[in-house]
Amino acid sequence: MTTLLNVQHVSKQYGHDTLALSDVSFSVNEGEFVSVIGPSGAGKSTLLRCINQMVDTTDGEIHFDNAILQQMNKRELRGLRTNIGMIFQHYNLVERLTVIENVLHGRLGYKSTVAGMLGLYKEEEKERGIELLEMLGLREQIYKRCDQLSGGQKQRVGIARALIQEPKMLLCDEPIASLDPNASKRIMDHLKSISRSMGITALVNLHQVDVALSYSDRIIGVSGGKIVFDGSPKEVTQEIIQSIYGSEANDLMVKLGGQNAI
Amino acid sequence: MDAKSIQQSSTILRHSKSNRIKIKPFSKSTFVLRITLAIMAILTVLSFATINFQTIDFWAGLVDTVTNFQTMFTTPQLNHFSFWEGFYAVLITMGLAFLTTLFGAALGLLFGLLSAENLSNKRVSNVIKGSVAFIRAVPTVLWVLIFAVAAGLGSVAAVIGMTFHSAGYLIKAYSESFEELDEGVIEALRASGASWWQIVVQAVIPSSLSYLVSWTFMRFEINFSVAVAMGAAAGAGGIGYNMFMASSFYFDLNEIGAITYYILTFAVLLEVIAIRFKTNISGH
Ligand SMILES: Nc1ncnc2c1ncn2[C@@H]1O[C@H](COP(=O)(O)OP(=O)(O)OP(=O)(O)O)[C@@H](O)[C@H]1O
Ligand SMILES: [Mg+2]
Repeated sequence: MTTLLNVQHVSKQYGHDTLALSDVSFSVNEGEFVSVIGPSGAGKSTLLRCINQMVDTTDGEIHFDNAILQQMNKRELRGLRTNIGMIFQHYNLVERLTVIENVLHGRLGYKSTVAGMLGLYKEEEKERGIELLEMLGLREQIYKRCDQLSGGQKQRVGIARALIQEPKMLLCDEPIASLDPNASKRIMDHLKSISRSMGITALVNLHQVDVALSYSDRIIGVSGGKIVFDGSPKEVTQEIIQSIYGSEANDLMVKLGGQNAI
Repeated sequence: MDAKSIQQSSTILRHSKSNRIKIKPFSKSTFVLRITLAIMAILTVLSFATINFQTIDFWAGLVDTVTNFQTMFTTPQLNHFSFWEGFYAVLITMGLAFLTTLFGAALGLLFGLLSAENLSNKRVSNVIKGSVAFIRAVPTVLWVLIFAVAAGLGSVAAVIGMTFHSAGYLIKAYSESFEELDEGVIEALRASGASWWQIVVQAVIPSSLSYLVSWTFMRFEINFSVAVAMGAAAGAGGIGYNMFMASSFYFDLNEIGAITYYILTFAVLLEVIAIRFKTNISGH
């Protein structure tokens, strides 16, 4: 297995006193499905955003696909970002535009500034967009405005927008945190099958421990800006959950696990 | 939590006399607000009570005014120019308003983007916002008079001066509309490698289009009335000049009435068009 992403001793400090990440190291292989779990404020979102350099690191190095992110100039960074798709809790679509327009936004990074501004997409790109939407069950919604969609449908548009980038990796920041259990399951199934069939590496922030355990090849537990666990879901025990979420989390997890079981 | 435990966990504020529960805790800002309102009320009463009419008899003055209005609006008449000349004059006024709004909108768009905090950097944004606040603080008429020093009184000074103030107004309005935009949308496009201009055209403008249109029409209406005044005050031509002549040169009340109807008709027309446009935009 080849390593796609290698995070080495990364730290991130916001302002003077908030150390969001401290000395984080891990690596992810091509095609792996990795979940990041941890309490609120642990630094999960920060970690994800360091990987596509939406947030720049204070210390350490990130290697992605044999390139070092910290040495990239602006132009190279744009090129890097086209290789990494991102999916958000609040979908972050342009609500006033149609589904297909939003999906095609994923191609902007590949275009010249003017062609992108004017929305001049190639025929192949449009066909690919429609293909992806069909795959995600949104055939009927292609020309709908995004503000008319349900949350689950919006998230699928978000997935299509990320996939049309032809990314090597998907970063998902709490993709199911605003969805009901049925829609959540559907989104997670899509992500998993995309990762499998297209060989796309996925790094997913999750709050639902049970979901993380059942879908992932690997779990990374973050707490207080540090990695406190990195291993397969089978190795996760109550003690480990406690070390990630603190001692009071115990009963809660069991209860939540029962309720949200998918 | 039941009612009992609420009572225990927090002290509930009650009015001292009636013992009713307060829903707004006492704060400095409500205090200042109340004082301000009280002072304004007192000043209003005081100023009405102490108006000095000098030699004018209030009731006679009121009757005269009503008679004048009656002459103006019930017997409008054109004496010094023809119907089509008047029509042409309103078009000129309209043209002045349109041109200055257009220039203002173009400048507003560019500098509005640069001064929106979510699209620009803090330094640039602050510099633009500061200068724009200064531009807006000086009234439009004054800007026209300032530019009249260089360009001479007339249409050139009016166009430049009105453009200046329109730009100031629209930069602020637009940039606030842009700042309303969800930060996440920008982040999503940036994360996919889109460039600044692509994000602006593909996400920022479509999302804030209905705001932009409202503000632009709002400014067009303002500019229309300013353009009327400019015709009178700065010799910019148009219906305002006819108005000026009718009122201070010919003392022709009937003609003033007719001109008012001209302006009113166009203003209503403008409003109707604006509403049509806006509903079209928001309905996609
Ligand atoms: N832009 C920012 N400026 C300053 N501090 C920030 C910023 N973003 C995050 N932080 C701080 O960094 C720490 C980690 O935040 P982060 O958003 O990465 O946590 P998280 O694990 O994603 O939490 P959640 O599960 O609630 O989303 C927090 O203490 C947060 O307050
Ligand atoms: Mg987060």
